[in-house]
Amino acid sequence: MPLLKITIKLLLLATLAALTPLHAAEADTLARIGAQLEQHAVIRAEFTQHKQMAAMKRPLVTSGRLVFSRQHGVLWQIEQPLRISYVLGEERIVEIDADGVRRERGVRDVPGLAQVGRVFRAMLGANSTALREQFEATVHGDPAQWEIVLTPRNAQLAQFLTRLQLSGGRFVSDISIAEAGGDTTQISFRHTQGANALSEAELQHFGVAQKAGTR
Amino acid sequence: MNALRLRAGLWLLLALGVLIAGATQFADGRVRLQTNLLALLPPTERNPLAEQAVTRLADAAGDRVVLLIGQRSPAAASAAARRFAHQLRQSGAFRQVVAEIPAFDPKQLTGLYLPQRFNLLSEEDRVALSSGQLDLAGRLQRKLYAPFHFGLTLAVADDPFGLADDWLASLPLKNLKLEPQDGLLVTRGDDQTWVFVSAELPGSAYDSKIQHQVVPAVAQAEKELHGADSEARVLRSGTVFYAAAARASAEREVDLIGAGSLIGMLALLYLVFRSLRPLALGLLSVGFGIAAAVVATVWVFGQMHLITLVFGASLIGEAIDYAVQYFAAHLGAGADWEAQAGLRRIAPGLTLALATSLFGYGALMLSPFPALTQIAWFALVGLLAAWLSVFLLLPALLARPNRRDPQSAVALPQRLLRWWQTHLTQRRCVALAALLLVLAAPGWLQLRGNDDIRLLVARPPALVAQEEQIRELTGMGNSSQFFLIEGRSAEALLANAEKLAGRLDALVAQGDLAGYQSLAAFVPSAQRQAQNRALWQQKVFADPAELRRLLADAGLRDEVADQLLASFDAAENSRLTLDDWLQAPLSTPYRHLWLGPNENGFAAVVLPQGVRDVARLGDATANLADVTLVDKAGSVSRLFRSYRQWGAGWLLAALALVYGLLCLRYGPRQGAVVLTPTLLAIALALGVLGYLKAPLTLFNMMGLMLVVGVGVNYAIFLREGGVRAAATLAGVLLSAATTLLSFGLLAFSSMPALAGFGLTLLIGVGIAVLLAPMVLSFAVQQSA
Repeated sequence: MPLLKITIKLLLLATLAALTPLHAAEADTLARIGAQLEQHAVIRAEFTQHKQMAAMKRPLVTSGRLVFSRQHGVLWQIEQPLRISYVLGEERIVEIDADGVRRERGVRDVPGLAQVGRVFRAMLGANSTALREQFEATVHGDPAQWEIVLTPRNAQLAQFLTRLQLSGGRFVSDISIAEAGGDTTQISFRHTQGANALSEAELQHFGVAQKAGTR
Repeated sequence: MNALRLRAGLWLLLALGVLIAGATQFADGRVRLQTNLLALLPPTERNPLAEQAVTRLADAAGDRVVLLIGQRSPAAASAAARRFAHQLRQSGAFRQVVAEIPAFDPKQLTGLYLPQRFNLLSEEDRVALSSGQLDLAGRLQRKLYAPFHFGLTLAVADDPFGLADDWLASLPLKNLKLEPQDGLLVTRGDDQTWVFVSAELPGSAYDSKIQHQVVPAVAQAEKELHGADSEARVLRSGTVFYAAAARASAEREVDLIGAGSLIGMLALLYLVFRSLRPLALGLLSVGFGIAAAVVATVWVFGQMHLITLVFGASLIGEAIDYAVQYFAAHLGAGADWEAQAGLRRIAPGLTLALATSLFGYGALMLSPFPALTQIAWFALVGLLAAWLSVFLLLPALLARPNRRDPQSAVALPQRLLRWWQTHLTQRRCVALAALLLVLAAPGWLQLRGNDDIRLLVARPPALVAQEEQIRELTGMGNSSQFFLIEGRSAEALLANAEKLAGRLDALVAQGDLAGYQSLAAFVPSAQRQAQNRALWQQKVFADPAELRRLLADAGLRDEVADQLLASFDAAENSRLTLDDWLQAPLSTPYRHLWLGPNENGFAAVVLPQGVRDVARLGDATANLADVTLVDKAGSVSRLFRSYRQWGAGWLLAALALVYGLLCLRYGPRQGAVVLTPTLLAIALALGVLGYLKAPLTLFNMMGLMLVVGVGVNYAIFLREGGVRAAATLAGVLLSAATTLLSFGLLAFSSMPALAGFGLTLLIGVGIAVLLAPMVLSFAVQQSA
């Protein structure tokens, strides 16, 4: 289930053209949405996440910043109610706490994580085949205002996940996730901007050495 | 004349006996060809349980076939794999064919571990909890706010601090690179999607019936698949393919070596004797020898190993020698031939030759090595029977004198003999010997030992390449080492496994080991579980009021805290047992780790993966009484090495023994003369092997042993030949030619062991026969 969440969160950032739906019109829409997103090597956004869980008295609200790099992966920086960052790269996942302490794990050390990583890479490479293995997609609207609904193809995914819904215009603006257990998550994005390169600080978060010795 | 008939009658009776025994064995289906490498090897482990475990693990791996079906497109790969699996099932060659996997149900995992979670802690958490306080608030926040979690996780209400999540993440479930997709297991590589298909054999991989059933079924399924999808690729691995290939190549070699040496031998016999009678008689004598050897081998060992069979084919060349000597005497006597007298004259030489051969093979018999024992027994019986034929059968059937002129028949050997006598004086012989030794010496320095277990098996490169590719794609291990863990009780066994795990973790941290599979990773010992629960009690549940406050502050409902405390109390006396785990479906892929009860308690294995240095594994067992490192390949190599080293000693002992025998007949000085060509042959053979950069193996040493047994015969025959030296030399050359022919063919065997054996004999016997006339340089002058 958590793995799926990564997939989902990656989806919003991905080149949606990767999803090749059944109808030509939809395919066309998807291709154009994808082309819109593909222009940017880096996308930055602010997010707010509302999570509703059975165990909680009230929804859990998180907010922070998101950086997506075509080359290096995803940086998910939570700022409220606590400071903690996560980096999802091709080979590893890193947790960085408020004091800057990094905890790394290789994606291959955790069952299934490699699969998610590959879906992620497939999306980066606009490889629709990998995504269509997992989801059925339907598309509404046009590239200026669209909505995509993804439903799991196989029973395994369906055990955890009922439905994913993405919507947006030039960029993805909202995501909603319905889990099989009844929990739901809504994420909305604001101030989304495309850029050509990561900043020095971001590169450090991704663990990309700028100078020798910094890793 | 009557005595001759009596003897021939006796031979007929014996032959009839062998025939009946052979027919009975054949009818019983007992003439089975054994292709299992393990069956050739002596027990190498001190602990009998370890030998048992080796066999169990080999069987578990051997009775399975692993196939990967590859296609560029994932959808086509799935379709191809399903079609292939269906085809295999249709063939009926397998007990079971598995392609589709039941969807992995995380409830299997949580069902087993959730109720027991307060007895479990990952190694990292256990150390952290034992040495300090846990930041419960921080862990709870992380569990709640993380956008994703590492691997399988429990619900917040069940595991608010992620301790059970850490335990689940510590399970070694990810050994293989295979992932579920579309109901199948797939891996990716080489620009293809590969689907994993495994099939279970209906019996042993070494059973020829199973081989003949399975190998064509896979080939047929591959053919059908290519018909439907020409781009699909099939990779296979499994003991059965190697065993079938070994059988096929052995059968091919038996045909080649058997037919080659037989035809060559008959041609040579005809060239020399120009009569069909010796051919027929030679065949009878050799046929009787080989048949008796097969019957005796099956009678004693219950079956015949293919290595014996291939070796047996090469024995033809040696078994004919006795008959050849008899024909040579017959030819040399010309019109003066009288069977009884002729036999009497050559009998001492033949018997001495037999005795030296028997000594050579007898030394092999003494080795505790089933492969060598069987070969030696085969040779002993075969040679004895062939020798017996000469005494019993040949005089009766070769009574009439030869019509061919002895002088013209032996013209070539006569010339050779003259040349030797005029050119090689005693002094020159000594000089030649010294020269040859000087030439051989640099070769000795280049000799390198090789004791690899793979000497015994011919591994077709195409199969090896496929297996390597499968290993690469799936991450399946191939280490032949494992740890045997014992314990009086299951609890003691788990405690021992935990002690080992602590040391192996250190090796993993140092990079000497990639990982390991152990039961202890899935089920902690009851003692460890009690310690874990105590840690939970002290560090998590010590203050229920504080715990409630912590959970409430984070926004969790009050019922969550109530339920958590209640489940902790309820689980107080329950512990996860090995039985619980063994009964859970989760354990199916790891069941081979459990060897079950034995008379001393229980046993299990721990499989190391990605071993960098075997010596470090051995260090890990230091002071652990119930943990043994079993390294079968290593043990066998060590055994080969020690046999090879002892082999040098045996060789000297055999030479001493043969010298003793020669002294009895010829006296110390002439005995030494008769032995010298053989000694030189051994020295030169070693030199040539060095120059050829052929590795010196146990099997080369065996070959040298036979050079002693066979090589000395030629010197004996020549020494015995006396006035009829030319005819004897013709016989010696002839028997050497047949021996060289069959052992020479053996040198081309695909089995490295047999090839090395054949090559050594080819060189050694070749040199021994070339140098044998030296004997005449010393003997003739003396008797003259």
